[in-house]
Amino acid sequence: MTQEGFNPHILGFFCHWCCYAAADAAGVARYQYPPNVRVIRVMCTGRIDFRFILEGFRCGADGVFTGG
Amino acid sequence: MVEAGRSPNIEILSNANLLKLEGQPGAFEAVVRQNPRYIDEDKCTACGTCTMYCPRPIADTYNERLNVSRAVHIDYAQAIPATYYIDPKACMRVNFETCTLCAQTCTAQAIDFSQQPKELILNVGAVILAPGFGRLDSEVLARFGYGRFPNVVTSLEFERLTCASGPSEGHIVRLSDGTTPKKIAWLQCIGSRDETCGNGYCSSVCCMYAIKEASVAKEHEPDLDISIFFMDVRTHGKGFDESRRRAQEKYGINVIRARVPRVDQVDGRLALTWVAENGVSHSDIFDMVVLSVGLDAPEDALPIADITGIELNKYDFCRTSAGAPLSTTRPGIFVAGAFQGPKDVPESVTQATGAAGFASELLAEARNTRSVSITYPEEDAALMAEEPRIGVFVCHCGVNIAGVIDVKAVRDYAATLPGVVLYENMIYSCSQDALKTLANKIKEHRLNRVVIAACSPRTHEPLFQETLRSVGVNPALIEMANIRDQCAWVHAQEPEAATEKAKDLVRMAVAKAGFLSPLPPQTVPVTPRAIVLGGGAAGMNAALSIADQGYEVVLVEKGDRLGGNLARLKWTWDGQDAQAILSDLIKKTQNHSRITIKLNSTLDSINGYVGNYVSTLQTPKGIETVEHGVMVMATGGKEYRPKGYLYGANSNVVTQLELEERLSKAHRRGDRPVAPTLKGVDSVVMIQCVGSRGDDMAHCSRLCCAQAVKNALKIKEMKPDTRVYVLYRDIRTYGFSEDLYREARRQGVIFLRYELERRPEVIECKGDRPGAPTKLAVRCFDAMLNEDIELPANLVVLSTGVAPAENEALSKLVKVPVTSDGFFLEAHAKLRPVETAAEGVYLCGLAHGPKTLDECISQAKAASAKAVIPLAKGRVAVAPIVSKVNQDACIGCGLCESLCPFNAIRLVKMDKRRKAETITASCKGCGICASHCPTLAISMGGFTDEALFAQIHAWAGLALNDEKRRRREL
Amino acid sequence: MAKMKKSGAVLVLGGGVAGVQSALDLAELGYYVYLVEKKASIGGVMAQLDKTFPTNDCSL
Repeated sequence: MTQEGFNPHILGFFCHWCCYAAADAAGVARYQYPPNVRVIRVMCTGRIDFRFILEGFRCGADGVFTGG
Repeated sequence: MVEAGRSPNIEILSNANLLKLEGQPGAFEAVVRQNPRYIDEDKCTACGTCTMYCPRPIADTYNERLNVSRAVHIDYAQAIPATYYIDPKACMRVNFETCTLCAQTCTAQAIDFSQQPKELILNVGAVILAPGFGRLDSEVLARFGYGRFPNVVTSLEFERLTCASGPSEGHIVRLSDGTTPKKIAWLQCIGSRDETCGNGYCSSVCCMYAIKEASVAKEHEPDLDISIFFMDVRTHGKGFDESRRRAQEKYGINVIRARVPRVDQVDGRLALTWVAENGVSHSDIFDMVVLSVGLDAPEDALPIADITGIELNKYDFCRTSAGAPLSTTRPGIFVAGAFQGPKDVPESVTQATGAAGFASELLAEARNTRSVSITYPEEDAALMAEEPRIGVFVCHCGVNIAGVIDVKAVRDYAATLPGVVLYENMIYSCSQDALKTLANKIKEHRLNRVVIAACSPRTHEPLFQETLRSVGVNPALIEMANIRDQCAWVHAQEPEAATEKAKDLVRMAVAKAGFLSPLPPQTVPVTPRAIVLGGGAAGMNAALSIADQGYEVVLVEKGDRLGGNLARLKWTWDGQDAQAILSDLIKKTQNHSRITIKLNSTLDSINGYVGNYVSTLQTPKGIETVEHGVMVMATGGKEYRPKGYLYGANSNVVTQLELEERLSKAHRRGDRPVAPTLKGVDSVVMIQCVGSRGDDMAHCSRLCCAQAVKNALKIKEMKPDTRVYVLYRDIRTYGFSEDLYREARRQGVIFLRYELERRPEVIECKGDRPGAPTKLAVRCFDAMLNEDIELPANLVVLSTGVAPAENEALSKLVKVPVTSDGFFLEAHAKLRPVETAAEGVYLCGLAHGPKTLDECISQAKAASAKAVIPLAKGRVAVAPIVSKVNQDACIGCGLCESLCPFNAIRLVKMDKRRKAETITASCKGCGICASHCPTLAISMGGFTDEALFAQIHAWAGLALNDEKRRRREL
Repeated sequence: MAKMKKSGAVLVLGGGVAGVQSALDLAELGYYVYLVEKKASIGGVMAQLDKTFPTNDCSL
């Protein structure tokens, strides 16, 4: 696999109060970013069990983004 | 707006006029005439068939007459009431007894020509006047070619042209030939700051909306050449200067400082001629000219004044005063919005809430005597227990989503997902008629899980939850896929990838929906007490309002006395004695039986949540604990301390507030006050924007221009032959304070504009003979002469503006963020201007941003009205996302208790064993306990392990396939 | 003077953004509101605006 054309599949776990809100704000401001992150909303990053992250990788994530 | 249509306590009387108002505060009798719609609101389904058949075209006023509508129509798709309406002026049946096509085609049989005007007699305790603003006379617009030249349009017409649902579907076109213009000019101050049309005031909003429209135009047509002709750029709103700067940089909008006197048409294009600041005359040709029309007094201002018995000011707006900005001249009648004076949306919303607060003070004893509460049908437990029957609704959000994402493809994709029994598109899923459709679909298809693919659950989930409740489905059984804020908006250039992402998000939401389970709603009682932080004008007004509405207040002031910044203000801009207002306020506050004042005190800690806060105060007597339901932050701001300008080095360089202090020490001689400080003074130079709009503080302090003009006039009153110069960047005497600016020029005050790169410099010169005291002078650039000049000055006055207080510590404590300017951030700049990120914590006064005394008072009333809402309700609903311990699986290890940041888990003895238990009211639903429990005994409402794993696996569905494909390709 | 009985209802004249906001807050505060609008639908001028500064949200 080459670096070129590498389009990573990224799974995100975003805190409802901050990172998820910030992602909404990015939309309101019409910031543009690559469409390869899929977000799962949680009420706090504290909710993120390490099993979720491992499961993400096991299922083929190239990266897991926890935001809070 | 949709909420107003849904509230059981708001009766919308549209098509209605107030005819008579009698009685006294607390007990008025109003007569209202409601004219017929000729359509039965209960029967109309808003299907639109009648409009299709109506033979009578009329100009579409919603689209500024740029479109054609029919005599029977609805203003716009989301209109409330969501019912069609027959314009009696145009309808052929109403006028000539001919044609009943609409009635014949209406399958709902909603059309009823027998309807007659109704007169209603309403008993009310208070009246709030919010009739808005009126349109300028077409005569004023005609001076600028409007009506004669088709490509001269008003700003409201332009607004409709850029709107996707407007007459040109969002394409900017010239009305003459439908082509796209290349060069557009905006002309400011049309019908504002113009005594020739009777409107001497500034309309306050046009500068910002012109910049907004120009920016939107550039987004539509990036190659547009745009010029805006300003006299002054008045973007004084919170965050507006920042927006203006960004717009100017990003879009290259050409700012020209000139007033264009007329518009001429040359070969189908428009010619403008103007004189620049340096006196040189210019002219240029444009394809389109937009007139930034000002806000006029409402057309029915005179009849309203007549019927309600209130007084108007000389411009036919409602008469109010700086000390009582929301009170009309008749007790019990309050005013809000543009009728009180031209203003933007946030100030209108603030005043509206503030006026509601006033009415609530007046009628506190009658609270809940007329209101009704909503009852929801019982939840259908059997349906909810069935296998998931999922309905997926994919929203267009107009073009917000549908303009990027192929929403029909997403809908069809949803059909392939397990458990989905219904899949549909909606144009605006949050509109009232769509919500009605949603409710019907849920019933009709017996849905027990709903997925809405639209915007953010943060903003819209509560609305859809209400709809679920209204049809007996537990509100927890909804999941939203955020395909707008986090998809269409951020991938506007990649429609295909955005559509794929939307499908993924819908698949993930559907997967989660399958694992949602009903959660019982929970409420907790509210402690009926408020803390108000700050004992200035805003804090005292807030405290008084809450107390007058019937609740206890603890007023916390860090200094040793009440008054705040108001203690240093001597006169309001409309000439009232500021100290008289203050002493009255202090007396009322001190004497109020429900207000406890804590001087020399600060907030030390705050814990809990809306309705149930426990805070500690650092007081001279030590730490005191206060239980309270809500808190108002009115911690104020401070005068900026200037650097440079010889401030501090020369005693004749002072700030505006210091000048005011000196001028106030005047005595009367004859009919004129004489201030000793002006003795021997023949020249005063004021410098604006010292600190503001520069390197130290980026924001505009909003009040300094009016303050400088006010003090300049004071000097002229005391000593008319004094030369007064004001060096400024933009004079921002918005609203009626423009009158002061005009008066100052009339009295010979000289205004000179400077550029940021050429700030004025204060210099000391040697006296003319040896031993004489040094003299002050101000060096600045004169655009007219095109050279530096030196103005001799006995007194230099610096307009230093408003700096934020030290807000960082409080911000961390209360968890309310501050803006880059250091002021506290409101929940929403336009629509929730006094609420904050912390529920139950409200904001007002200079802590929120620079503002004048009357604005502080309005905002304080608004903050207290919002604060009283939970207190008056008595109970607050807790989101049912809390943790729940399966006590059979719990081993009592106590890890969760030790980790919980909110002390919301305790260990209890059960059958001699330790078990964890959630304290529901304190739980915030963060889930730290659940993710750490070694026996997986804790589950989170709405965010269970099963649901989240399902989401991960749903996400992987495509990712795995993609991976396989990628391998195959390699 | 006998104490007059106060009414728990409020009349709001004008269905623009200010009138609607007043009505919503009064309803939340425990009062019954008559929202009197001369036109056929509420919303006022704000409903005509395409977008509002500084967030450029849709104005409805």
